[in-house]
Amino acid sequence: MNRYLKYLVVLVLSFILLLPSTYAKDITLYFFHGDGCPHCAAEETFLENHQNELKDINIVKYEVWGNSENRDLLKKIGKKFDIEITGVPVNIVGNTLVKGYLDDSSTGQKILNMINYYRDNDYTDYVQELLEGNTEVVKTNDKATEYKKKKSTHTITIPIIGKVDLEKVSLSFATIIIGLVDGFNPCAMWVLLFLISALLGMKDRKRMFIIGFTFILTSGLVYLGILLSWINIVVKVSTSILFRNIIAVVAIIGGLINLRSYLKSLKEEDGCDVVDDKKRKKIFTKIKTFTREKSLVLAMLGAVGLAISINIVELACSAGLPLVFSELLTINNISGIQSLLYVLLYILFFLIDDLIVFTIAVITMTSTGISSKYNKYSHLIGGIIMLIIGILLILKPGWLMFTFK
Amino acid sequence: MKVIKITAVWCGTCLIMNKTWNKVLKEKNIETISLDYDMDEEEVQGYQVGKKLPVFIFMNNNQEIKRVVGEHSYEDMLKIVSDLENE
Repeated sequence: MNRYLKYLVVLVLSFILLLPSTYAKDITLYFFHGDGCPHCAAEETFLENHQNELKDINIVKYEVWGNSENRDLLKKIGKKFDIEITGVPVNIVGNTLVKGYLDDSSTGQKILNMINYYRDNDYTDYVQELLEGNTEVVKTNDKATEYKKKKSTHTITIPIIGKVDLEKVSLSFATIIIGLVDGFNPCAMWVLLFLISALLGMKDRKRMFIIGFTFILTSGLVYLGILLSWINIVVKVSTSILFRNIIAVVAIIGGLINLRSYLKSLKEEDGCDVVDDKKRKKIFTKIKTFTREKSLVLAMLGAVGLAISINIVELACSAGLPLVFSELLTINNISGIQSLLYVLLYILFFLIDDLIVFTIAVITMTSTGISSKYNKYSHLIGGIIMLIIGILLILKPGWLMFTFK
Repeated sequence: MKVIKITAVWCGTCLIMNKTWNKVLKEKNIETISLDYDMDEEEVQGYQVGKKLPVFIFMNNNQEIKRVVGEHSYEDMLKIVSDLENE
């Protein structure tokens, strides 16, 4: 049964990976204007001048003077928000409206404030709801136009690490830390070490490099697929507060489990935990078989197969951190190529301990280990990170939006 | 005094402790019997090793006098050996 479960997990993850996905929480600015309206033209120029700042915002324009359908929509919007709309331009984000356009410094700034408010807080696209037929009246949120993007004043104190200003801490730094901590769990390291010892026996450095590198590269690619699937899932559910809180609770539980493992390890000797005999021997046989293959290609295929099965099993070993990482990307509106770059950065640091051990082995033709003390600290730091992110996800999601250039 | 050293090729801590023990042997002349947890499975089972590696079993006249498990510093190991020698 166990074997089928494994293939089922792979199937589900790859299916999710292929699902078309709209990335990230898209904020839409609805701009109702009239051709020939000077105030509208002034705002048009303003929006163009701020294009760079509004890259992550969809701007949907409705011309109402010449288009009766758009005019009707604007009337419906007035009813939806129980507000009287007498002219254009009208700007709507979420349930906040800005009517008219005086100049860039006043009305223009209000529009920017409104957008910043919804970047940092919960956002629902009520106009889209209306377009989908939901005419239920919604109260307007008038304070969004006064919202000032707070300069970084959010500092928290993390044990051991000390004072951390969340707004300044870059997302890349968080990616590196989480990737490192995730990588330092012992789940797959023992397989790599056994593979290295088997390859060392061949006394053929080139062959060792090719087979070993194939194993590590495949591990990276498998983990890439797993991470992208996590991101795909989180992006789909993250716009709903309920799911975000579920992810937060999972992160908190994961954090507590990691801290408990850390506390447990304090009472034990630092050393290697012997993996279940049956599983261990099965993997040894696999490794011995393919490393002795005459054909290099078959040996490489063996390494690929091993890497795939090991990394899927390892999913359970570190399921918490990738989920937290995916939520971090999503909450920061990271999508497309940029999210792929962060995933690659994550994987680089996830694999760094394997790369170090393997490189030393290839250079020195001897096998070296990494002290198990680091596993203990990976539980501690991983636990703290997951707890903090889980709690912030519930209490202060806005704090998790790093500002970075 | 004799030492039974039980390690595994897939255990990072064992690889580290192999080096540490080799350093100790430069200071102390102790007969060391190295067993591999997987290759010498039957022999290892006789020592009830448990689930944590590496294991150093110190013996005098085939009687176990001390057992050291897991990762320890070179200084610790040197002190353990000295203390046992003085007993």
